[in-house]
Amino acid sequence: MRKHLPVAVTGLGCLCAAGADLAECMASLFAGKRQPKAPTLFTTGHAVAYPVFEAPLAEPEQAGLLRTSRLALVAAAEALADSGWSPEALRGKRVGVCIGTTIGGTTSDEGFCRALRAGVHPDLAPMKRILGSNPARSLAREFGFTGPSQTIVNACSSGTDAVGIGASWIRAGFCDLVLAGGADELGRVTYNGFTSLMITDESPVKPFDKNRKGLNLGEGAGMLVLESEMLRGRRNKAARGFVLGYGSACDAHHLTAPHPEGLGLKRALAEALQCSGLTPDAIAFVNAHGTGTPDNDRVESRVLSDVLPMVPFLSTKGYTGHTLGAAGAIEAVFTLACLEQRRIPANVGFSEPDPELPATPVREITVVQGAAALSESLAFGGNNAVLALGRGES
Amino acid sequence: MTTKDKLKHILIEELNLEDITAEDIGDEEPLFGEGLGLDSLDAVELVVLVQRHFGIEIKDMEEGRAALQSIATLAAFIDGRRTA
Amino acid sequence: MNLDIAISGIGVVGGFGCGREALARALRAGRTPVGKASFMTPEGPAQLPAYLADTAPLERFVAKRELRRIDHFSRMAMLGGFLALEDAGMLEADRSRLGVVIATGYGASRTTFSFLDSIFDGGDALASPTHFSSSVHNAAAAHSSILLKATGPSLTVSQFEMSVPSALLAACLWLEEERVDAVLFGGVDECGELLHYCWQRFFPTATAETIRPLDFERQSAVAGEGAAFMLLTRSAGAVAPLGRIRQVLQGNAEGGVPALPGDAVLFLGADGHRECGAAYRGLPENALLATYAPLYGSLPVGPAFDLAVAALSCRENQLFPAPSGGSRGIGLQPEALAGRSICCLKFGTDGDFGLIRVEK
Repeated sequence: MRKHLPVAVTGLGCLCAAGADLAECMASLFAGKRQPKAPTLFTTGHAVAYPVFEAPLAEPEQAGLLRTSRLALVAAAEALADSGWSPEALRGKRVGVCIGTTIGGTTSDEGFCRALRAGVHPDLAPMKRILGSNPARSLAREFGFTGPSQTIVNACSSGTDAVGIGASWIRAGFCDLVLAGGADELGRVTYNGFTSLMITDESPVKPFDKNRKGLNLGEGAGMLVLESEMLRGRRNKAARGFVLGYGSACDAHHLTAPHPEGLGLKRALAEALQCSGLTPDAIAFVNAHGTGTPDNDRVESRVLSDVLPMVPFLSTKGYTGHTLGAAGAIEAVFTLACLEQRRIPANVGFSEPDPELPATPVREITVVQGAAALSESLAFGGNNAVLALGRGES
Repeated sequence: MTTKDKLKHILIEELNLEDITAEDIGDEEPLFGEGLGLDSLDAVELVVLVQRHFGIEIKDMEEGRAALQSIATLAAFIDGRRTA
Repeated sequence: MNLDIAISGIGVVGGFGCGREALARALRAGRTPVGKASFMTPEGPAQLPAYLADTAPLERFVAKRELRRIDHFSRMAMLGGFLALEDAGMLEADRSRLGVVIATGYGASRTTFSFLDSIFDGGDALASPTHFSSSVHNAAAAHSSILLKATGPSLTVSQFEMSVPSALLAACLWLEEERVDAVLFGGVDECGELLHYCWQRFFPTATAETIRPLDFERQSAVAGEGAAFMLLTRSAGAVAPLGRIRQVLQGNAEGGVPALPGDAVLFLGADGHRECGAAYRGLPENALLATYAPLYGSLPVGPAFDLAVAALSCRENQLFPAPSGGSRGIGLQPEALAGRSICCLKFGTDGDFGLIRVEK
């Protein structure tokens, strides 16, 4: 395995229940604010209204695009503006788009299928919308980017994988600039799916707490502008942060359950540390996956206490809900913003330690030392992905 | 058909246990792990199957864990709810 | 970036049959018999021609019990994967540093439909968790990793027609960066009721039984399903009988044609879809080109099959006759590869393109 050169991050953008942009999100996180509530985007037939974290999508309805792509567009526009690039100025440059989501192109429009099932010819509009809404393609089209585009569908680690793979495009010289991130919308299909798996909490999510019952779903998008040293050097742009390393590994154990010893997560952590040249004592904090499901949090706590004892960690899902394919990207953005602010928020929802968990998250706003941090994701299919991120130059 | 027999057929049919027959499943045999070899995903599927075929809801996995030990415990749970 | 990635094994399943030999036979014969797919419409049962894949041979590799929760989509992918490993002589090898990269245009669409069905039948409370977890797009990669005990990185890419070149980019970079020792790479897409119904709605006047890929003006696509997998390794100068991947380019040509290597034979991903066909008309008049979609059907991951054909062409050091004939370019007879490289070129909508260059 080769040691990676750091890849500069010159722009950040984020949209989720915690806020309409990154500044608003960080303010909510450090104020300890969260507002999970019963879904308003759709209705369900469940006896219990499992709370969700809906994102404030102020953009007017772009009828031709799925909500996932519209969320992605908002966060991407913020990240690009933050980087100081306009789409016009990037014309002719090799700009790629690498986006994580849970589905890149699906035929699962519920209304369409329900009508068909009932023996009615449904309107084709929803299918056309799906075919025109591939997230990476939608962003490339909107901004006129002509480099590679990739929509990663690695379930809940997609956002983390997209940032790691986007960074490799810069290192390999494929691209001058990469828009990397993740986006996912809330919908009935995923809501019913997670409910059927009996891993949703009917009260606000409690990551790593003794009484955790499961996750709350969320939605949103997180975007990073990754920029080559050549391009950055030409305009003397300070980096807001760095992607230092990326590791990923499959448990090869079970479709929905993590490996009980977290073997895949351990390998992903080892790779992220090794390729970034970091040792555990250089890690300021870990932004954990921390979904609030009994299994996930147990495995993660065990692995963290094993591999990174004494390193403070937290889950930000108490503020955002589990935004699935967007989660890894949103959390990478938060991680970089926390490194910038040299502090991390409290792990909201955690109050009672679980004797089964050897490590517990931070309960209050914590000042952190060190210039590097990790953000980790675990996913269905046994995927584990970890980003090593570094503080910027400002 | 008794609840136990019905359950065995549902198990084979819905969980695609094509390689065994109802006679192969012992009433007391553990459904998970070493016994029948089912796993956590089968457990939540069984919760849905019990509701679909018997109209009986298993609220959460705390309730589920006790009921889903074996065919015998699950049948007792279902029959108990029906007469209650 | 110049790559040097060896194709060490091929595993294919589709309308032409199962395995490398079945594909080679179809190439020699120049045809694949087209089957019929049945589906429901509001007017009653209907049929469309389609290239359908049979996954029964998977039982040679996996016990039936282990397949009980695995749907047709994942079975095609796993069969492709096992065959590629077997072809590479790696069936027994240690797979702790094997990565898995899968490209799919539509994912497990049948299972997605089944999951919705469980909601239509019983309401939200009776949604099936098994169908839900198998409908996630990375289910095929997950099942493959579990049964193969492949504990390296795993990636699923879904980029419609660009899925294969885009995913291949990642597979090659993993090898170049030495993250893994080998990558099981493949494309998979499936047919199903919903696809056929939509097909009929989108192309109501298209009644083609035969794909005419070079007839760019005409909608002649015939739905196909299947999986085309290969085992990729770092070439390191070693002999690569199935060829080496030297370049992967993917992006948007803004209505134009990307720069093409001068002496290359082009394997066009044209598969009878008029909307994508227009882009191929911009190719140079004298380009030497072939299309093989009439052997495997029209499906988003078609370029994975073209890549398999390119690997077979390297292996036999010849170009197979193009089943769609030689209006321009390659004729009806096989001809020697004669040191030329092969470029698999696929156009999507709006100028998207993917290019994979393979050399013997």
